[in-house]
Amino acid sequence: MLQGTLNRLVNAAILLVAVLVLNFTLIHIAPGDPVEAIVGEMGGATPEMIAQMRAQYGLDQPFIVQIGTYLGNVLTGDLGMSTYYSRPVTGLIAERIGATLLLVVTALLVALILGTVLGVFSARKRRSVLSHLVTVIALAGFSAPVFWVGIMLILLLSVSIPLLPISGMTSSSADLTGIAHVLDVLHHLVLPALTLATIYLAFYSRLSRASMLEVLGSDYIRTARAKGLPQRMVIYKHALRNAILPVVTFAGLQFGQLISGAVLVETVFAWPGLGTLAFESILRRDTPTLLGILFFSSMMVVVMNLLTDVVYRLVDPRIQAR
Amino acid sequence: MTAPLLSVRNLEIAFRSGRDDIPVVRDLSFDLGAGETLGIVGESGCGKSITALSLLGLVPSPPGRVTRGQILFQGEDLVQAGERRLNEVRGNEISMVFQEPMTSLNPVYTIGEQIAETARVHFGLSRAKAWARAVEMLSLVGIPSPNRRAHDYPHQLSGGMRQRVMIAIALVCEPKILIADEPTTALDVTVQAQIFDLFNDLRRDFGAAIILITHDIGVVAQMTDRVMVMYAGRKIEEGPVADFVRDPRHPYTSGLVSCIPRLTMPPSDDPEPLFEIPGVVPAPRDLNRPGCPFAPRCARVMPRCRDENPGLEPLAPGRMVACWQEQEVAA
Repeated sequence: MLQGTLNRLVNAAILLVAVLVLNFTLIHIAPGDPVEAIVGEMGGATPEMIAQMRAQYGLDQPFIVQIGTYLGNVLTGDLGMSTYYSRPVTGLIAERIGATLLLVVTALLVALILGTVLGVFSARKRRSVLSHLVTVIALAGFSAPVFWVGIMLILLLSVSIPLLPISGMTSSSADLTGIAHVLDVLHHLVLPALTLATIYLAFYSRLSRASMLEVLGSDYIRTARAKGLPQRMVIYKHALRNAILPVVTFAGLQFGQLISGAVLVETVFAWPGLGTLAFESILRRDTPTLLGILFFSSMMVVVMNLLTDVVYRLVDPRIQAR
Repeated sequence: MTAPLLSVRNLEIAFRSGRDDIPVVRDLSFDLGAGETLGIVGESGCGKSITALSLLGLVPSPPGRVTRGQILFQGEDLVQAGERRLNEVRGNEISMVFQEPMTSLNPVYTIGEQIAETARVHFGLSRAKAWARAVEMLSLVGIPSPNRRAHDYPHQLSGGMRQRVMIAIALVCEPKILIADEPTTALDVTVQAQIFDLFNDLRRDFGAAIILITHDIGVVAQMTDRVMVMYAGRKIEEGPVADFVRDPRHPYTSGLVSCIPRLTMPPSDDPEPLFEIPGVVPAPRDLNRPGCPFAPRCARVMPRCRDENPGLEPLAPGRMVACWQEQEVAA
């Protein structure tokens, strides 16, 4: 068990370094650098000034030296300075992570619970109208682009029927505190969370439906019925616990990818999270910030995979540490 | 004469295929007395297992359903019973042991829990009492150190042990009827013998009537009081087990009995080929044509067999056969 966990951690560390190198290289190859962006904003600069700025950010060094310095800094927990905000990247991420977590966790939980319930239902009543409806909605949610769903929801629930705020995380006009502030944030949360949940929901309802169908046909479910257990025990005790594993896998993967999942939604709703920051950093050629966010999200993936393994072992006694 | 414990009357079970209901069990009637052991014999696909499932209201539906007939358990028709009533009967008064011990237990719960929950649901026992009962059952079915084993998961047990657990689950509520659907087919021969010994002991201790479904004639001869032979969804012969083995009447039954390989002494270098019944069981869809369903494979077929299906006729008390030849001889 300990040996297995240790192996995983070593593997994860190697993976993270590989991701860092790859990200750094890709961004290095891409045309443009922070200095060009800054110069563009300043409306021009002399070649001497540009050279000086490049030297300041270490961009005049050979590629090997640049990447070596960066890797060394990351190891000490230093993700560098944002070229746009002139502040440490770690601080920027810490500031934004809360908003992203709130959005993604809410969306994921809603999708996970609702998706599983819908999936279980449509597996049990395969020929019912609701089952077909779930299939259609899932397919639509599956294929519709996130930003389109977001815009449509804004049109419907903010413009046509002005129930919910269009964007942002707080009302800028009022300076609310306490409960009022929490309610204000929740009010702003509904639309982006709903948009993000729609996409996840499609996955989970399909996944749990397929998984449930397979389990419901298994011999031990026949045994459970033959024992005279009530239907709800057969479904929720005997079937669901077996059917939930693929859903757990998927939830783990998706949660790990929270940044990429949230980029579009955060951008559409101007939600001040990591996704927006990543998107803006690309436009501003803010390489250190972008690299920092990418590194942070790959860390999330690794951590979530480890957590998923733990949940596996809780759900299914057959799974042991290798 | 008192009413039998279980009385199946003119049962028909059909599966929907496209727009048609294809019957897989037709006009099946049989009785089971308290404490009696009835063997149901037949080839794969003859309707044995689906008949067993129908007794518990567990015919997979859709596509299957009971389309005609009655299943009278202590005078109550289970075909008409609602799901709530069926759940009271299942596992409590009628329980079932399945063919596949490897997959019939839920992999994510301990075996103790899987036995105990049955007792909790039917008897309303507390968790502690139900657990104690589960441990007691494990020891009754011959699982060593039951206190410790009750905490094991199914994957930690061998096939034979898992089948013992299935039997413990089936018997925990002391049912009146135990249905065993090929309970040893998936097990080693030595384990088979142990399981049947266990059945014999438990029959003595619990006094349950047993319906034993098998295609192993040897098992039938050892275990049962009475035998019913099914072919293509119909009962074609029924009688006390001694008659069945010594004097089978239906050509199909005599074929089945002849199929048992015998060890001859001394072993010859040129053994006789094993006996087989030529042909295969007809598909349920092909059974709408007239005539005896066995006629195409029958060695003693007569012209009448191809035109008219023989009904079951009594030959002697407790002895019935559906065969023109036998009925004409008897008449």
